[in-house]
Amino acid sequence: MTTNPSTPSESTLQAFADMSAALTGFQSSFIRPFLDPVNLSGTFYSFAVSQVGQPRMDALLNTFNNLSNQTPKLTPQQIADTLLETALDAPSLQAQLCQSIVAMWYLGSWYTPGVLGGNGFAPPALQVITSQAYTKSLVWNLAQSHPMGFSPFTFGYWSQEPASLQTFGVDTSNGGGQ
Amino acid sequence: MKKTITIILLTIIAATLVIMTSIPTTMAPADSNPAIVLSPNIPGDATFGPLPPNPTNEQKLLAIQGDFDIYSWNTFIALNWPPGLDGNGDPTRKIGQNGDNDTVWEHYRDVADVFLPGGATPSWNGPVSVPTQCKASYKPGMRILSQVGKTPTVLTDFSQPFNTGPLIDQNGNYTRYEILVNKPMFDYILANKLYSKAGQQAFKGEVQFPCGGPNGPEGAIMVKSSWKVISPADRARFHTQTVLVYSPASQNPKYPASCSTKLMGLVGLHIGHKTDSGAQWLWSTFEHVDNAPSEADIGSNNTLKPKTYNYYNPKCSTANCPPNKVPPRPWNPTKVSAFHSQVVRMNMFKGNEFAFQSAAARNADALQLLLGVNSKSVWRNYELISTMWPTNTGKCQAAPGDPLGTPAPNFLANTTLETYIQGMVPNVSSNCIECHNNATMTNARASDFTYILQRAQ
Amino acid sequence: MSNGASPQYDVVIVGAGVSGNLIAKQLGLAGKKVLILEAGLPVPDSREEYVNNFYLALAKTPESPYPALAGRTGSQQNPVGVLPDPSKLPTPRATVLSIGKAPDVSYLVQAQPWIETHDPKLPPQNPPPDENGNIMGLQFSSTFERNGGGTSWHWLGTSLRELENDIQLQTKYGHGVDWPITYPELQQLWALAEKEIGVAASTAEQQPLEVVGLVFPPGYEYPMQSIPKSTVDDAVSKGIAGLQVPGTLPDTPGGSDPTMYNVFVTPTPQGRNSEPYDDRRVCAGNTNCIPICPIQAKWDPTVTLGKALDTGNVTVSYQSVAYNVEVDGSNATRVDYYVWSRDANGNLTKVSKSVTGKIYVLAAHAIENAKLLLMSNNWQGIANSSDQVGRNLMDHPLYLSWALAPEPIFGYRGPLATSGIESLRDGEFRKYRSSFRMEIGNEGWNFSKGDPYTTALDYIQGTNNTGTNDGGPNGAPQRLAGVQLAEKLNNILTRQFRIGCMFDQSPMAENRVTLDVTNGKPNNVDGLGLPRPKVEYGLDPYTMEGFRMAAYVCSQVYQKMGAKEFTTTGMGAAGDFTYRGVNYHYYGAGHVVGTHRMGNKSGSSVVDASQRSHDVPNLWIVGSGSFPTVCTANPTLTLMALAFKSADSIIAALG
Repeated sequence: MTTNPSTPSESTLQAFADMSAALTGFQSSFIRPFLDPVNLSGTFYSFAVSQVGQPRMDALLNTFNNLSNQTPKLTPQQIADTLLETALDAPSLQAQLCQSIVAMWYLGSWYTPGVLGGNGFAPPALQVITSQAYTKSLVWNLAQSHPMGFSPFTFGYWSQEPASLQTFGVDTSNGGGQ
Repeated sequence: MKKTITIILLTIIAATLVIMTSIPTTMAPADSNPAIVLSPNIPGDATFGPLPPNPTNEQKLLAIQGDFDIYSWNTFIALNWPPGLDGNGDPTRKIGQNGDNDTVWEHYRDVADVFLPGGATPSWNGPVSVPTQCKASYKPGMRILSQVGKTPTVLTDFSQPFNTGPLIDQNGNYTRYEILVNKPMFDYILANKLYSKAGQQAFKGEVQFPCGGPNGPEGAIMVKSSWKVISPADRARFHTQTVLVYSPASQNPKYPASCSTKLMGLVGLHIGHKTDSGAQWLWSTFEHVDNAPSEADIGSNNTLKPKTYNYYNPKCSTANCPPNKVPPRPWNPTKVSAFHSQVVRMNMFKGNEFAFQSAAARNADALQLLLGVNSKSVWRNYELISTMWPTNTGKCQAAPGDPLGTPAPNFLANTTLETYIQGMVPNVSSNCIECHNNATMTNARASDFTYILQRAQ
Repeated sequence: MSNGASPQYDVVIVGAGVSGNLIAKQLGLAGKKVLILEAGLPVPDSREEYVNNFYLALAKTPESPYPALAGRTGSQQNPVGVLPDPSKLPTPRATVLSIGKAPDVSYLVQAQPWIETHDPKLPPQNPPPDENGNIMGLQFSSTFERNGGGTSWHWLGTSLRELENDIQLQTKYGHGVDWPITYPELQQLWALAEKEIGVAASTAEQQPLEVVGLVFPPGYEYPMQSIPKSTVDDAVSKGIAGLQVPGTLPDTPGGSDPTMYNVFVTPTPQGRNSEPYDDRRVCAGNTNCIPICPIQAKWDPTVTLGKALDTGNVTVSYQSVAYNVEVDGSNATRVDYYVWSRDANGNLTKVSKSVTGKIYVLAAHAIENAKLLLMSNNWQGIANSSDQVGRNLMDHPLYLSWALAPEPIFGYRGPLATSGIESLRDGEFRKYRSSFRMEIGNEGWNFSKGDPYTTALDYIQGTNNTGTNDGGPNGAPQRLAGVQLAEKLNNILTRQFRIGCMFDQSPMAENRVTLDVTNGKPNNVDGLGLPRPKVEYGLDPYTMEGFRMAAYVCSQVYQKMGAKEFTTTGMGAAGDFTYRGVNYHYYGAGHVVGTHRMGNKSGSSVVDASQRSHDVPNLWIVGSGSFPTVCTANPTLTLMALAFKSADSIIAALG
């Protein structure tokens, strides 16, 4: 397999996926399963790079790798809070990029970093990244459901309570509480 | 440096552990190198070889797709093996040794003989239901390609799923379909009385067809075949049968019943098999090599081989013969149609190129074996399109939180069986597992990935 | 002008929607030769393209799968993508994204709201009432499609029957007008429609609604078992047990109805499969009925069109926009239409053609039917001695309220709506205020707030656009990450639900569709040069009193459930109005009715009970435009029922 400069390496993609897992609160195996025929990690990585440029992505992954290698080991929640700067009033450019990455996974769309909604409305998305980005978007897992327009369930499921949030991929054991 | 080694080791160990949970059959003593073989033994499940070291995602998918494609070819060969008296493949003979041969799967039970009028109890070996119009021409042992039942909710045999449209060949004849089930599948239906509406209503619990395992025996297998009317001159290039083609009377469109004897050639074969590694079933699909050109073939023009396609006229322009258009209604299979389907195989593997690569390699291997039996084997004219398999599943049951099992490849179609949904739109374009996940019994309860149970009367 | 030649067809139908396809099917089965002229694009061979359009749409509105599409790239200037210019389209239509916009975006030419036409720095205002207390100059907010299959590609599937008193509002309550048809006849026709569509329900479950006059002929059974209720339905149903509300609130103008009415939930008869039916799959709860069911478990008019084509007697001419129905004396003699296409460069071209039939049927939906009638005969109009064509435009204006349940109730699952509160649809109060039904939504705050997007972004970015994110210090919004973010969103999304109240709006002559022309010249045209519809619309106090009551009932429901209400209304935007000092917002329910109403008296109605024109005996004008009042049920089932009656009368007239 020839290396294409624009094709990220396995380790880069895995780092991107692990970082995304921490940021979104989902298990790594949900973000980038062992076998990944859909490869949203690759799609999202490339799309983000196309929007913010390779240097910013490299810098972000570098920051993430440093955080991951700290001793004592940080929890995914701590890494997420650090990258997204939840304790600060005004998130930095890098934290805004992380927000857009969370939005990609949750919503399947790219939201320009730093552009907020207002007046009761969400900010405008640049675009839905791909139809699979939408049909595999994860915010619906947070509702313990499925994307509108793509149900993997069978007739009558809606009359029963759904499976747990953990089953839907959230790493509740590594918890955030609340 | 040491840290890097540790990380690599941990990754390999982690990867191995995950292999064990997502493709559990590797826990069993696996074939170290699965291969396509000439054997009448139907594989109970796929078996798996080792992954390359430090594999990328693509490499993993290519390797495991390869294992499933080997499984598909071994299944195709075994199912198309000439049967002995007991219905199993006859070990004293070989597939294609005389060119063509009767096959094991054609002695499976047609769903028309499983879901009988009034919900009557079916039998595995009992007589075939012969429609009135066919009785004059019928000889015992003849197959009948027929519409199943007269109830309006039943799939017709000449229209693709959900009545999306028929496939009409270049001579104006309708393509015909049939569905058959193997004995384990039949036995499960019989034992649980799922052959009738009343039985399905009374059934408690979930429908769970039996899974095949890597050391056999096979699990539930359902076969869907597509057939084209051919002339005797074409015999050498097809697996053929002389059958009775039956169309019952129809109210709308209005036409009378008809039955006639026809020489038919096999153009497509779907094999669905419930296995330990395929809780959402494994879906193998084969086509006759002359069915249709691919998008790529047409695009570069000079690669369009000067040959006769089953479902494509190279002399008709795109403007006059737009590809993959549903024939206009009304559809009347008892008449020769002025409209001919112009079929093109669309590329549904974008982003899943491993599916192409694997199928091409396995097709080459299989061809060698089949030609080795007889250079005129009719089976040399069939190719695997791909195998759809769940990448994330438990042993004979879905992984929690992933009812569809995240199939690979993402989309798959047979040009003779899913002609009109050869796209890449989730939930709509052809994806065996996604579509069959919607299958239910007559009372809307889930039917374990098969639509045949909704035929019960 | 007739040249003595035989008509080319028995019947020419304009429009391949619910009514047009149903009538074509019935005629085809009876051996009659039918041509359908459909303005828009053909029914596609598969719904891949439409569903993909939906997946990629920035704003997943009812029109989002169907051409012409909004752009797929958003920006501050065009947050929902660039919207197509109706003056360049061959078949522009009303869309949700264009409501309240200027004619370079909005196909319907109508009043714009304050925020579109005033400096954003000025405090916004709502239009004042006129001397009758009516608030005019409001935006008609319902939309439609112009393509093979029509608007009901994106109907929800709700298949309720009207009530006995719905169709005699004037006789019983002195308001509105009566329908010129009896309830027993409608019951027979509904049964036919329920079978055609495949409606899932059980008469036993509907029995509690006898209290509002919903009765079935003895022994009647629906074609399929009912659709299971959702967890949201159950939560509402349990939470409101015992709730009662009065017929009217204090100080209702005109009188009072102090009766206490029981508020309870019943499952909704729905046109989606609860068993394999008609070669279509069983509902898998894609929660996407509007705008498109990806697996066609929900019936849509293309199903019936397929059966019409199966007869061998029906032809469809697509991209064929009728612009004139020629009437000679009192007989319709031909339809003129444009066949449009795009050349290799994408330029729109058109060719004028004509076709003749013995009988003509206009089935182009309520606004296009009116427009065609008004355009015919050199814009003098036809079939309009009553002067009612285009008038009495009605909708079910929809009041939306939403709340957070105290515990998770798991919305965003199942069909969009599986139950409702139908028990308040009838009573003495209809003398004084509009009645309404209440639809319980299964889709969380998707309709209400564009969720889950708005809530997700609130907690990712630290904003409070949904009203729930005020848990930080001093009520500031929180900005969360990781599992904390996930669990917070889970906590909120699983408790969201909404109720939509749909009002029996009064027929008003001044609510009307006319041609947008001045001094014989169109002010705005479409891509074929045809004039655009001008719409004038408002609400009367009778209807607005209904809003007042609905807001009260919704709040009572939430209170009884222990739910926290989050309903907000705005000021100065499309759909905002103020009544008796309180701000309300209405949406369009997509139920466009009234523009060619039926009646026994030709002086005050356009068609009779068979939807045959009073003026032009070989012209039928069919669809929801024939409804003289909008009643309290969603209109599709009833309009199909009426189409069965029309088909019979056409077959009889053909002899």
